[in-house]
Amino acid sequence: MKKLCLIFISILFLNHSAFAVVKIDITRGNLEPLPTAISKFYIDKPSKFSPELKALELDKKISEVISNNLKRSGLFSIIDQESYIQSPRIAHAKPTFQDWALIKAQIMVSGKLVIDEKKRLRVEFRLWDVVNAKEIEGLALFATPNSWRRIAHIISDKIYERMTGELGYFDTRIIYVAESGPKDQRIKKLAIMDQDGANNKYLTLGNELVLTPRFNPASQMVTYMSYFKNLPRVYLLNIETGMQELVGDFPGMTFAPRFSPDGKKIIMSFAKDGNSDIYSMDIKSRVVEQLTSHPSIDTSPSYSSDGSQITFNSDRSGAQQIYVMKSDGSKVKRISFGQGLYGTPVWSPRGDLIAFTKIYRGKFYIGVMRSDGTGERLLTENYYQEAPSWSPNGRVLIFYRESRTKKSKTGFSTSSSLWSIDLTGYNERKIKTLTDASDPAWSGLLSK
Amino acid sequence: MYKSVSLSVFLHLAFVLLTVLTLPFVKKEPITAQQLIAIDIIQISEKTQLPFAPKAREIIEKIKKEKKKERVVTKQAPPKIIPKEKPDTVPLPDQLKLKKKEEKKKKQNPKEVKELIRQSSEFEKKELFDPNKIAALIDKSKEETADIKKKQSLELTQNQDSSVTLNKGITLSQQDAIKAQIYKCWNIPLGLPFDQNLLVRIKLKLKEDGSILSSEVLDHRRMNQPGQAYYKVLAESALRAVKLCDPLKMPTTGYDKWKDLQLNFDAKEMLRG
Amino acid sequence: MFKILKNTFLVVILGIFISACSTTAKKSKSTSAGDVYTGTDTVKYLATGVADRVFFATNSTGLTSAAKATLTKQAGYIKASKISVVIEGHADERGTREYNLALGERRANAARDYLMTKGVAKSSIKVISYGKERPANTDSSKLAWSQNRRSVTVKAN
Repeated sequence: MKKLCLIFISILFLNHSAFAVVKIDITRGNLEPLPTAISKFYIDKPSKFSPELKALELDKKISEVISNNLKRSGLFSIIDQESYIQSPRIAHAKPTFQDWALIKAQIMVSGKLVIDEKKRLRVEFRLWDVVNAKEIEGLALFATPNSWRRIAHIISDKIYERMTGELGYFDTRIIYVAESGPKDQRIKKLAIMDQDGANNKYLTLGNELVLTPRFNPASQMVTYMSYFKNLPRVYLLNIETGMQELVGDFPGMTFAPRFSPDGKKIIMSFAKDGNSDIYSMDIKSRVVEQLTSHPSIDTSPSYSSDGSQITFNSDRSGAQQIYVMKSDGSKVKRISFGQGLYGTPVWSPRGDLIAFTKIYRGKFYIGVMRSDGTGERLLTENYYQEAPSWSPNGRVLIFYRESRTKKSKTGFSTSSSLWSIDLTGYNERKIKTLTDASDPAWSGLLSK
Repeated sequence: MYKSVSLSVFLHLAFVLLTVLTLPFVKKEPITAQQLIAIDIIQISEKTQLPFAPKAREIIEKIKKEKKKERVVTKQAPPKIIPKEKPDTVPLPDQLKLKKKEEKKKKQNPKEVKELIRQSSEFEKKELFDPNKIAALIDKSKEETADIKKKQSLELTQNQDSSVTLNKGITLSQQDAIKAQIYKCWNIPLGLPFDQNLLVRIKLKLKEDGSILSSEVLDHRRMNQPGQAYYKVLAESALRAVKLCDPLKMPTTGYDKWKDLQLNFDAKEMLRG
Repeated sequence: MFKILKNTFLVVILGIFISACSTTAKKSKSTSAGDVYTGTDTVKYLATGVADRVFFATNSTGLTSAAKATLTKQAGYIKASKISVVIEGHADERGTREYNLALGERRANAARDYLMTKGVAKSSIKVISYGKERPANTDSSKLAWSQNRRSVTVKAN
C-alpha cells in the first residue's frame, strides 16, 4: 500500500514536472449572445380537440413566447425561423445537426403538443446542443390549454437554467403603478402583468393615490401604500382573493413597505411629528417592533436575503445615505461614502449585493455595491430614475425612469416608464406598458 | 394506533396529491434522462515513466537544442501567417495550397520575413532568459564548491517546470496562433456568475493535420457538484468551442510537441469587464 | 435667598444664549440655501393678505424669515376664525419617492410647530405629506421645483 502511494505520488509529481503538455490560456472569447434556434412546436396525435388547438396556433405562439423571453434576456440571439431547414417534427424527433450548424445555431429548441380526450395539453420540449450533437434537456408539462403562456415561460426558465447554471426569471410577474392624467392630479392604479408585459390587469380603480407596491417573495401577497380616505397608510393585498387590510394601527403616515425574505414580516417607515423611523410588523401576530429611533429621516428599508440584516437610507449624516444594521436595529453602519446622495437600497435576493439610486450633479444613477459598501458599480445614468427591484435570481434589475418630453409651452414635461438592466450594466431595455408606469416590483418564481 | 397513523398518512398523501393535481402544473416528467457530457477517467500520461529529476546538464542541453529547433520552426511558419481564416470553415485543399503559396511568397520577400522572425525571436529571448541564466549559473557552479552546487541545483528543480514546459512545447507565437483560433470559436456564456472561479481545463489529443482526436474536461467531477451548475455550462461552452475550431491549424512541424494540448478556458476577465 | 436669585439670573442668561444660538443657527440654515421660491405665482390666500403656503430650499425643512412671517399671519387668522386646518407637505420631483414622503411630512410639521408656537392649538391642525405626488407646477424646471417645495395650509371641513 505504501509502495503504491509512493508510486502514485511520484507519478503525480512527474506528470507535473518535466514533461507536462503544452498549456494554453484562453482568456478571451466571443461575448455575443448565444446563437439559438427555436423551432416551431408541432401538434402530434390528432384527437377531437386538435382542430381547436390548431385554431389557437399554440404551436407557433409557444415558440414565439420562448423566443421573446430568451432574446430579452440578452444572453441568446434567436435565429429567424425562416431559415430553418428541418420540419418541427423531425427537429424534435431526430434532428440532423449539420442542418442546424449550417445556420450557425449552437443550441436548438424543439417541441411538440398533444391534446388528449380530456382536453389536457401535454407540451414536450427538447434542448439540443447542436455543436456536440446531443440532447441536453428534455421535459414534458401538462396543463389546460389556456395556461399555455405559463408553460412557455417555464420552458424558457428551463432553457435559461440549463445554459447559465442559474435559476430563470421568466415565470414571474411584475406589479407596478399605472399612471394617467395631468401631473398635479395624477391617477395612479395598481397594475400587474406577466414579466413579458402580457396579461396586464388593474388591481385598484384609481380613486385614491397608490404607491410603491411590493411582492411577498413567498406568496401572492402584495404590500403597498394608499391614500385611502386621505390617510396615507401601508396596506396588505391578496391578489388572488382581492382581500385587503390595513397594516398595523399607527397614529400617522406609514410608508415604504417591504416584505422580509420569508414573507412573514413587513418592514416600513412610520412618520410622526416630522420624524420617520423604521418599524417591522409580524403579519400573523401583529407584533410591532421599532428598529430605529433617530431624529433623522430613516426610510426605504430592505431585508438581506437571509433576513439577518436590514439596509435603509437615512439623512442622519446631513444628507441621504445608505446604512446597514442588524435586523433587531443594532449595529447601524453607514456604507455609502461616494459623492452625491444615495437612496432606495434593495438587497439582492441572492448574495451580497445592494442595488440603489444615486443622485449626483443633477443626474440619477442605478447602481450596485456590496453590503460593506465596497465595489460600487453604476449601471445606468439618466435624467431621472429610481427604485430598482431585483429579479428573483438576482440577475436583472427593474426600475422606473422619468424622461423629459418637450412641452408645447416653455418648460419640459416628463413621462415615466419601466426599464430593466442586467447586473453587468448591459442589455438595458424598456418594458412596454399600456400607460405611463412607475414603482415596479418583481415577484418570486411562480413555480418553484 | 397503527391504523390511525396509516390512515392519517394516507389522507395526508391524498390531500397533497389533490392539491397538486388541481394546480395547473401537476407533472413534470422528464422525457429522457438528462444526458451528461461523456466523462472519462483521467489517464495518466505514459510519459510519466521517464526518470524523475533528470540531471541539470541534460536539461540544459535539451533546452539549448529545443531552442535551436524552435528557431527553425519559427522561420518555417511565421506566426502572423497562420490564422486569419474563419475558424468554422474547413480549409479546402485548394485553400491550403494557396496558403502555402502565400507562405512561399512571403519567404521570397526577405525583408518582411526577417522582421517577423526578429520580432518573435526577441520576444522569445526575453521569455527564455531564465533557463539561460540557470545554465550560466550551473556552468559556474562546476568550478565552485559542492555546497553551492547543491543549492543551485535546487534552484534549478524549482524553475524547471516553467522553463521546460516552455521549451518542450511550442513557441509563444505558435501558442498565440492557436489562441486566436479558439477565441473566435468560443461563445462565452454571458449569464455566468462573474465572481466565481471560471476556469475550465480541456485536454486535447490532436492528429497530425490538426484535427481533434479527443477532448476531455479535466475537472469533470466539479461539473455535477451542487452549486456548480455554472461550471458545467462553462465546460460545455469550452467543448463547443473546441468542436467549432476542429480542425485546428497547427504548425507544420513538431507534431510531437503539440499532439497533446491543454487549453485553460478562463472567462473571468471577459465577464468582469 | 441671594443664591437663588443668582441661580435664576444665570439660568435666564444661559437661556438667552441658547435661544440666540438656535435662532442664529436656523437663520444661517435658511439663508445659506439660496433656491427658496420668493414669488407669488401658484400662491393662494386663506384670507386677504394671508398666503396659504411657505416655500423651502432643496432637501431642507428649515423655515425662512418670509415663511415665518406668512405662518404668523396664518396663526392669527386661524385663531380669529376658529377653524381647523390641514397642512400638506410637498417635495419637488428630484428626489426618491419614499424619502420625499418623509421630507414632505417633516416640512408640514415644521409649519405646524411654528403655528403652535404662535398659539394655535395642536388639536386644530392635521398634517399630511404628499411627497412629490401633487406638484403645484407640473413643469420640469428649477422654477417649478422651487414652487413645489412647499407646505400648504388648507381649511379643513
